[in-house]
This record gives sequence, structure tokens and C-alpha cells, in this order.
Amino acid sequence: MATTGKVLSEKFYTAMKKLEPRYPNKKALILPALHEAQKEHGWLSKETLEDVANYIGVHPAQIREVASFYTMYNLKPVGKMHLKICTNVACCLRGADELMEYAEKKLAIKCGETTPDGRFTLSEEECLGACTTAPAMMANDDYIENLDINSLSDFIEKNKGGQA
Amino acid sequence: MPKCTIDGKEVEFKPGENLITVAKRAGVDIPVFCYHPGLTVVAQCRMCYVEVEKMPKLQTACSTNAAEGMVVKTNSENVKKGRAGTMEFLLLNHPLDCPICDKSGECDLQDNSYGHGSAYMRHSEERRTYVDVDMGPVIEKNMNRCIHCTRCIRFGDEIAGIREMVAVKRGNNVDITTIDGEALKTEYAGNYADICPTGSLTLRDFRFRKRAWMLKKTASICEGCSKGCNIELQHEGNVVYRTIPRENLEVNKYWMCDEGRFNYHYTQDETRVLEPRWNNEKTSWEDSILAVKTALEGKKVLFLVGTDLTLEEMSAIREFTGLYYPGSVLQHFGTPGIETSAQDQPADKILKMTSKTSNLRGAEKLGIVPHNPRVDHDFSAAVVFTGGRAVLPELGHAIQVGVGVFLDKDHQTAKYQHILPGLAYTEKDGTIINHQGKEQKLKRAILPRGRSKSTAEILMLLANKKTKVGVA
Amino acid sequence: MSVEANTPVTKLFEPHFWKDSNRKLEYYLDKMDGYKMAKKVLTEMTPDQVIDEVKKANLRGRGGAGFPMGMKWSFIPKVDKPKYLVINADESEPGTCKDRQIIRYTPHALIEGIIIGSHAIGCKHSYIYIRGEYAREAKLLQEAIDEAYAKGYLGQNILGTQNTLDITIHRGAGAYICGEETGLLNSLEGKRGEPRVKPPFPAVSGAFACPTAVNNVESVATVPFVMRMGGDNFAKLGKIDKSGGTRLISLSGHVNKPGVYEIGAGSMTLRQIIEDLGGGVWKGRKLKAVVPGGSSAPVLSADEIDVVYDVEPLQKVGTMMGSAAIMVCDDTTDMVKLLLRVTKFYAHESCGQCTPCREGCQWMESILHRIVHHPHDGKAKPSDIDMLTDIAGNIGGKTLCALGDAAAGPVISFIKKFRPEFEAYVRGDVKERVRHA
Repeated sequence: MATTGKVLSEKFYTAMKKLEPRYPNKKALILPALHEAQKEHGWLSKETLEDVANYIGVHPAQIREVASFYTMYNLKPVGKMHLKICTNVACCLRGADELMEYAEKKLAIKCGETTPDGRFTLSEEECLGACTTAPAMMANDDYIENLDINSLSDFIEKNKGGQA
Repeated sequence: MPKCTIDGKEVEFKPGENLITVAKRAGVDIPVFCYHPGLTVVAQCRMCYVEVEKMPKLQTACSTNAAEGMVVKTNSENVKKGRAGTMEFLLLNHPLDCPICDKSGECDLQDNSYGHGSAYMRHSEERRTYVDVDMGPVIEKNMNRCIHCTRCIRFGDEIAGIREMVAVKRGNNVDITTIDGEALKTEYAGNYADICPTGSLTLRDFRFRKRAWMLKKTASICEGCSKGCNIELQHEGNVVYRTIPRENLEVNKYWMCDEGRFNYHYTQDETRVLEPRWNNEKTSWEDSILAVKTALEGKKVLFLVGTDLTLEEMSAIREFTGLYYPGSVLQHFGTPGIETSAQDQPADKILKMTSKTSNLRGAEKLGIVPHNPRVDHDFSAAVVFTGGRAVLPELGHAIQVGVGVFLDKDHQTAKYQHILPGLAYTEKDGTIINHQGKEQKLKRAILPRGRSKSTAEILMLLANKKTKVGVA
Repeated sequence: MSVEANTPVTKLFEPHFWKDSNRKLEYYLDKMDGYKMAKKVLTEMTPDQVIDEVKKANLRGRGGAGFPMGMKWSFIPKVDKPKYLVINADESEPGTCKDRQIIRYTPHALIEGIIIGSHAIGCKHSYIYIRGEYAREAKLLQEAIDEAYAKGYLGQNILGTQNTLDITIHRGAGAYICGEETGLLNSLEGKRGEPRVKPPFPAVSGAFACPTAVNNVESVATVPFVMRMGGDNFAKLGKIDKSGGTRLISLSGHVNKPGVYEIGAGSMTLRQIIEDLGGGVWKGRKLKAVVPGGSSAPVLSADEIDVVYDVEPLQKVGTMMGSAAIMVCDDTTDMVKLLLRVTKFYAHESCGQCTPCREGCQWMESILHRIVHHPHDGKAKPSDIDMLTDIAGNIGGKTLCALGDAAAGPVISFIKKFRPEFEAYVRGDVKERVRHA
């Protein structure tokens, strides 16, 4: 049995092997598999989706339809640091729009774009569930809460140069 | 049987039947888009609203099963408003291209819009548009026309057994497509066009050839294999334009395969022999019949019937050979390797059978035995009757006579000294017996083409004693 | 009307918030009598006794629908099939962030609740469906689960009994609709998170076509407290019929002290919550509007907040408690822009299955966008306002799941209560327009 696919490493297959006994069928592993696969390159290429399809044992179209339903699966490459600013009601009431405008200016990109150096991607996010500490944003897997222009500026500066 | 009331009429129902089915029995048509009796119920299109007593909200008839004593209204003001709302939503992004759309005239969206929608439009925003992908030779996709009913997705998943048509993205941006525009792989792709309630998925084979409302319709049976799928031949001006499946829950349910769907093309092929031939030259029926009789005179003749012929044709041939050619032998041919009904098995999990002709059971019923090439050399002449679908046997006889449908492009016609052109399945009535032993009727959709004649007529000409033999 | 607040309110969760070490097993065992009830339930109580106790407690679902939890569990048929207890930790109704607090600070209450609930319905494998964005929270929760496994509270022969129970965390990946229980189940099964047609209801055919109870995090984490206090005593924490225990409230927006607060169910009015807990409207401004139960709840104007904050009283004034998320808007808030933001959210999160929601939410967003961004060039028309209400009426109550209602409610209520602001926009008269904050 192959332990690696076209693009997915052994790490993926080892991680999945551990999860298999926790579900009554393999299809239920599609979401965990996509999360795991995305860890490898930060996004899900056509080849990655095919590897996942082969692993699960379904037509690649079925993986594509699932992956494209959820906003957290990146079907296009994203920057090293993915900033997702929540602009939903609670954050919007406390100034998220200004933060978004500021971030666009500071990074010199529009929301939805990636900086030319590939360091930052900026997105608008729906409610993050951090409403009592609004405004909030996600920076990769981390939440940054009680955000204001100063702390946003500091965060971007800090992550501009060195490792994200 | 339990009863419920629909629009004041009391109707009986079987437990588990939904309100669409029960209403139909009461003579009430409930408009639908996503509902299809052969597919799972998803209640997505929100067109089949009905009002059920004691339920505050409108219910979708497709997902509501009838219950004892249930009182249903399908025509209340509330229902009308609900349906009009759905129609408006469906048309927001639907292009106004009916004049150039092939579905026009047989389009559920058009019909329901006329019946339940408004003549005015409030929507003034820009319409949603998509870039279309090539889905291969069978289906033409126009996503702008799609109303997201997902019948196609469910057909692929539940009937064709391949989830190649999927919904990607979500919400207002849902695109129904194959992955990266791959060609459809299923051999049942034509059904996608049949079940699509709009002109989003149309048949490339039929596009721009005829407007739907001009077509005449004849209920018949597919001759593509021994399944005997019920079909409708659609034609106009003595030309067949399309085959679509006809519902028969015992045979093909609602579906048919692409092979059967496009099978009719050979009957209209420009290389089809439509005049009698004698040594590859056109000739008259008179000369031809005389020449055949002369050639067979006093010969031990091998008669072969294709299992693509009707029961009536085979029976007439059997009678004819017994009466006029005693000592001759009658055998059948059709699909190489499938000589008996025991060998005829399902070719896939859907509809197709391994016998590629329709009436193997008919030949067996008449006691006709399979062609045995080992006895071929006992005969100095062979007469081959074919409907055009059966695979012609390789014969080495000095004299070969072909009766039926022959195509020059099959490179077989030159081997026959005589060809007497007969009728294709679209041009005749008759009975065929399918793999279940069910007798079903072919119906003539169009008149004989060229100078071709029915098998019965040809046999009568051959039998006519007045046609003198030997006088040149 | 105001509610007497003289009886001291017992708080179950709040005292344990905000200290990282509180999430550890030792803390739960020492300070919260942890896992004693799980042991008692497994060794001394039948499933029906557990369900009866929860029924007595008047414990309503904390996810949004407010359905009595004991009743929900009693619907699970005693058939020879696997049964699943699925925890809804999708917490995605805008304004809501209470379950996150439980996961971060009292995860073992949730785990103990799952052990008790699993015994009640006969579940051997429970799934926690946690929203994808809560990546850190999922990690913390996994650490707590690992602690429980290490102690023998989970796995085989749990707590020294014959019972087996596994818990698996299943991460979502960014879709509001997966908070809807059947959308959640589809997502758990590896599908698009599209809600299912009901019936069949999850109790009959849920996860993997087996009987399933889907319960909110707070609901389940509350169960150990029910067992500790006894159903009757727990019910008394609630100051209103039908609602027992306490409620975690997420208070956000224009208040001085936003936060997650715990109150006895129905023990305070909306005004008391905003003023006493939230410290009043910020920056000394006046109150303009309150969204009382997550963004799906119809908005209340400033003069409607003397209402007891619980399910039925809010229903009576035409809105809902939902997930108990209160968003406060001060008098500088542009209600038209705010409605555009709310509507954009529902259009973005519509799964796209059913017609009114897929087409209608986007349409409403487009119209509101036109009104907000083109007030001066004649693109917004006075007729747009009534048209919006009419469209919302064609969505609400007409869809497969509740998202349609959620999208329609705000449109109808915002226009009804703040119509002059909409009229000002379509007249092109928006000089007084102010930004948020």
C-alpha cells in the first residue's frame, strides 16, 4: 500500500491512519483530511485534492465540492501570514471597517489579495466568535482581540521582516 | 386505504406516498423543479408549496407524506404568493434568452413561470453570469440558465453511479459542473438533458435542429438491447430528431442509455440502401425479385433472421421458408457471443444488457435456433433478414441475399448479390420480447424511406407464383 | 417592569473564567467536584432517571432554539443501532462567544456532561463539532480530553464501570450553516454542510443514519451542575417558568464593559443587563437599538428594552433570545449600513440549496448596497424600502432551514423600527450620516 501520494507526504497518511478508527466510514474523514492536507503547503492544489480523493476513495469532484463549500480551505495560494479581519456586526460596531481600511493601506493591497512578496494575505472574515473582545482578527490560527489601529500596525510591523 | 383531502376532493393513498403523487391522482398538478419521482427528495426549489391544515407554514408537497385525514389546499392565496415568490427568485438571474434556447417549448421554468409567475420584473441588479465548461460530446452546458435544482447531481450520484456532476462553492455562487470541465464519463449522459428543468443542460445531438413544439411524438421501444427501454420517438417531416425515454417502472423507470438514445441515427444514414440492388447496381423491385427467385431456385437455402426483427416478421419468415423452401434451414443471429437468453446478462448495474438486439427472446419463442457456422457449407445460398442492428454474420456462400436495413458504410453490402431494402425500427409496427419476457410494441413513427418495403410485402413478392422465373 | 434582584444569583461558570490554570483537570476535581456526578450517574442511575432529572431542571437548549433538553434526549429511540451525542460547538451566530469561554476555562464540565448525556441516550462515541476558526480552542479541548482519557474517564471501562465512551473532536472549516444541526451532521459525515430535509429528524436518523442528539456546548456543560444540585434546585435558579438554571450572555457592541456574563434565567431585564452588567452605553451616548439574540434576532429599539431577558418574554415583543448574544447600538449607529452588513453575512453564508435563501439574500444585499453606496445618484428608489420588506417576507418561513428566517427577520425589523433612516438614504439626504464608533 502506497504511503505517499503524488504531492502529499507520509506525514499526512500517518496522521490520517490515527484518525481512521474514530469514524464509522472513510468519507467522514474528508474534512479532517483536507485540514491535514492544507498543513503541507498552506493551500489545496488540484493535485492535493486528487491525493485526498484517492486516499478517501471517491471521485475528485466530490472532494472539490466539499472543499469549495468551506471558507477555510484555500483553493488558491495564500501568504505566509493570513490576516482575516472580522467585519461582522459586533466588530463593525467597534471600528472593524476602519481597521480594514488601515490594513489595506498599510499593506498596499486590497482585501482578498496577497502582497507581492507573498508574506501577507488580507481577507474579510465573518463572525469569529470573539464578539465581547471586538474587534478581532485571525492571524493564521491565532486570534488577536481588542484590536485597534496601533495594535494592528504593531502586529503587521512585527511580522513584516522575520519569520511569521 | 387511508384517505386525505386535496382541494376538497377525498383521495386514497398508500402510506409513504408524498402529496405530489397523491394530488396527481386527484387530478391536481403541483408545479415542481427539483422533485423527480426517480430521485431522492431534497425540497430545495420551494415551488411545490401547499397549505396543510393545522400547519402554520407552507409545506413542500414533495417532502410531505400524505396522512390520514390530512386536509391540503394547493391553490390558496397563500400558496399562490409562495409560488410567485419562488418564481421571482428563480428568474432573477435567469437570462431572457428563450427565443434562442433549445429548451423553449418544453421548459419547466417557462411553463411554471407562465402558470405561477408575474409578468413584471422588480429586479434591476446585474445578473449573475458564469463561464461555462465543455462537458464532452453529449451535453452542452449553459450555467447561466441553471436554477440549481440539483436533479443532475442526484442523477449522477443515484442512478448513473458516478458523482462527476457536483456543486462547487456555495450560496449565490454555486456552480454546478464537472471538475475542471472534464467530459462526462457516464454512458447515460443524455438523461441529464431530459431531467434538466431548464435549458442549462441540453443535448448537443439535438441542439438547433428543431423547435420542441414542432415535433410529433410516437411511443415505441428501444431496439438497442434486450432491455426494451420504453421510448418516445420525436419526429417531423418524416425525419426522426430525437429519442427520449418514456416512464415504465417495470422496465427502464425514467431512463435510457446514450447508445439507445442515439441509435436511431443509422436509420437515417446517407449510406443506407434504399433501393433494391443487384450486384451492387440499383435496380427495380420487379427485376430484383425475379433475380432473387431465379438465384434461389432449386437451391438448398440457409435462412438467417436477425434478432433485431419483430415477432411478426420472424413468424412470417418462418412460415414462408417452410412453405416455399422445404429442406431449408432457419437460424437466428444478433450479438456475437450471445446466442441464447441464458447468455444475455446485465452489462452494467443500470440498464444495459449484453444482447445488443431487442428480440432474442422472440426468436427463441418461435423455436428458431442460433446460427451455426459449422453447417454453413451444407448450403449453397443464404438469405439474411436484418433490421439493421444485428451484427451480420461472415458467410462464404456463392449466393447471398440481404433483406432489410443495410448501410454501405458498414462495408458489408458488396458481399451481397442482392439487397432488398426493408424497414428500420422507426418505420414499422411490431412486437418484441424483452429480457424479462415482456411483450412490448414497436410503433411506426415515420413512413418507409426511399423505396424500402416491409418484410411482409417482400415475402409476398417472393412468394407470388405469377412472378415467373427463368424468363429473361 | 423590572425584576427583583435581591436573591443572590448562583453562578455556575463565570467564577471560573479568565484564569488559564482553571481548565486543568486538577482544578475541576478540586474546586468543582469534578466527575463525581459522572461516576454516580454511571453506577447508580438508569438512563431514564437521568432524563427525568434533566426534565425537572427545565434545562432548555442554549444553542438558539431553546428546546427542552430532557425532551430531546427522550426522543432517542432505544433501538439496536449506534447512537450519537454530537456536541454543537460551531458557535457562529454573530454576537455569540459564550461556548468559547466554556471550552477555554471549564472544558471538563463539558466532558463530564458528555459522559452523563451519553449514558442517558446510550451513546458510545460522541463527536464535538467545533468551528474551524476555533483552532486554538480545539487544541485546548483536546488536551482536556487527553487528560480525561489518561484518568480513565474516557475510553473503555470508564470510571471503573462496564461503559465505553470515546470523544472525537471534528473541526469545521468555515461555514455558519454548520451550526444548523443537520448541516452540522452532513459536515461531520464529510459532506457539504447543507441542511437536510426533515423528517427524518436527527433523533431518528442523524449522524451516519443513526439516532443522534445534537446539543449545544453550554447545554451539555450544564448537565453536571443539574446532577449536583438536583433538577428541582437547578430549575429554581431560573426566575421564570420553563427556563431553569443560568444563562451565559455574550454582551457586545457599544457598552462600557462588553463580556460574557452569567445570570439566572429570566432574572434580569434587557435594560438591567446593559446598564448593570455592561456598565451602560459607552462614551456617555444614548442607546439607539439592541439586537437581543444574535444577529438573526429582530432588532429592538431603545424604548423596548424593559423586557425580561428570556425566551417567552422576548417572543412576546416579537424577537427572540436565540443564543443569548446581545449587541448594543448607540445613537450614532447607522442602522441602514448595519443592516447591509447583517444581510451581507447571510448572503455569504447561505448554503445555496434552496431558492428563496440563495437568490433572495443576495438580492436584498444588492438592494441595500445600492441604497448605502448610491444615495445621491438616483439608483436607490423610495420603492426599494417596501420591496425589501416584501422580499424578506418571501424568504422568511419559506426555506428548508432557519437561515431564511434569520436573514429575513433583521430586514423586516430594521425597516419597521428605523424607517426614517432608510427614507433619508433613498432621498439622498444622508448628510447627518455618521460612521460607527
